Amino acid sequence: MPVIRFLTSGKEIEFPEGEEVNILRISLRHDLGLPWSCASGLCGTDRITIVEGAENLSGVRRRERDRLGELLDDNVRLACQTYASGDLAIAWDPDQKGIDEDSRAGKRLKTVWMEGSKHGDQSADDGSDKAERA
Amino acid sequence: MAEMMNEEEFRVALEDAMKGREAKDASFSMAWATGKLERKHFARWAENHYHYVGPFADYLAYIYANTPDHATDAKDFLLQNMWEEEIGDVRHTDLLIRFAEACGTTEEAIVDPGNITAVTRGLQSWCYAIAMREHFAVATAALVVGLESQVPSIYRKQLPPLIDPDVYGFTEDETEFFDLHITSDEIHGERGYQIVLKYADTPELQQRCIEVTRDGADMRFAYTKALYDTYVAPDLGAWDPALVPA
Repeated sequence: MPVIRFLTSGKEIEFPEGEEVNILRISLRHDLGLPWSCASGLCGTDRITIVEGAENLSGVRRRERDRLGELLDDNVRLACQTYASGDLAIAWDPDQKGIDEDSRAGKRLKTVWMEGSKHGDQSADDGSDKAERA
Repeated sequence: MAEMMNEEEFRVALEDAMKGREAKDASFSMAWATGKLERKHFARWAENHYHYVGPFADYLAYIYANTPDHATDAKDFLLQNMWEEEIGDVRHTDLLIRFAEACGTTEEAIVDPGNITAVTRGLQSWCYAIAMREHFAVATAALVVGLESQVPSIYRKQLPPLIDPDVYGFTEDETEFFDLHITSDEIHGERGYQIVLKYADTPELQQRCIEVTRDGADMRFAYTKALYDTYVAPDLGAWDPALVPA
């Protein structure tokens, strides 16, 4: 059976041959230690570095492109957006938070809940913050 | 009298409750995944789907209100799920409307509750009734395990032909609704399981969770099948499973 090794927490998990598993989901189910927050590809808290097995991962999804930008070139992926179909080894910073405090989600929350929509920062909706994410 | 199951036994029982009645195997889903539908059929799907998923945050809000203060992790899960549906990023129903408009229908037609089948109306009503009337662990089993946790398995079959230029030929932007839910509902489903496993803490609650999970899967299957029977069968005839490649 394929094995995912969670190097930072020193844990590993097997899964059935022929299946594809979402990396954050399997971490949550078996308490394997990945940090996470939104689980929607917005905050980047669950970013992982692929140490081995990149060939066994699903293709890069839209939200990873938006959120990670050039980090993708450094073998970084988002666990919530990524499926594994074979052996894999991953690592992460155990203290990591979201990629930046000024994320799209953060802006939107601030707009809706703190400033009121009539004073809102429309850039939270129009994607104009994409360039600053990378 | 049923005995208390441990968490692993209970999880397997919940999974088994959905087997044989999963919406990915309903006629409309099969026709979709095998490239047999037309954009007008997707338009009718979107008009119906809006009235099932559009109030999802409302359903969850009723469960939230029924969840006791000490179950902080369950309340946080429900609140985060609501936040994602509505204001976390793009509102999920806006993504559905974007897809629907690419299929040739309009926002006015989508929000009109007169454009749905009786089975869709029944599914929406069942969701409201369960959310309002059942124990929060039972309601979570019904709506999150029985309904929402099926989404990745459905959309992972349906998205590839949607964006295949040789099949349906939609753009990535038009199909963001599906890509988003493939991943987000993986996590919602898992967190839902964990809430149910933790808080269904009597044999009676466990059995009720299994019952409503089965009911939820039946409801979603019936909703999906009705879409084929109502909108596709007049064009393609009764669904023939033999049309699906082995």
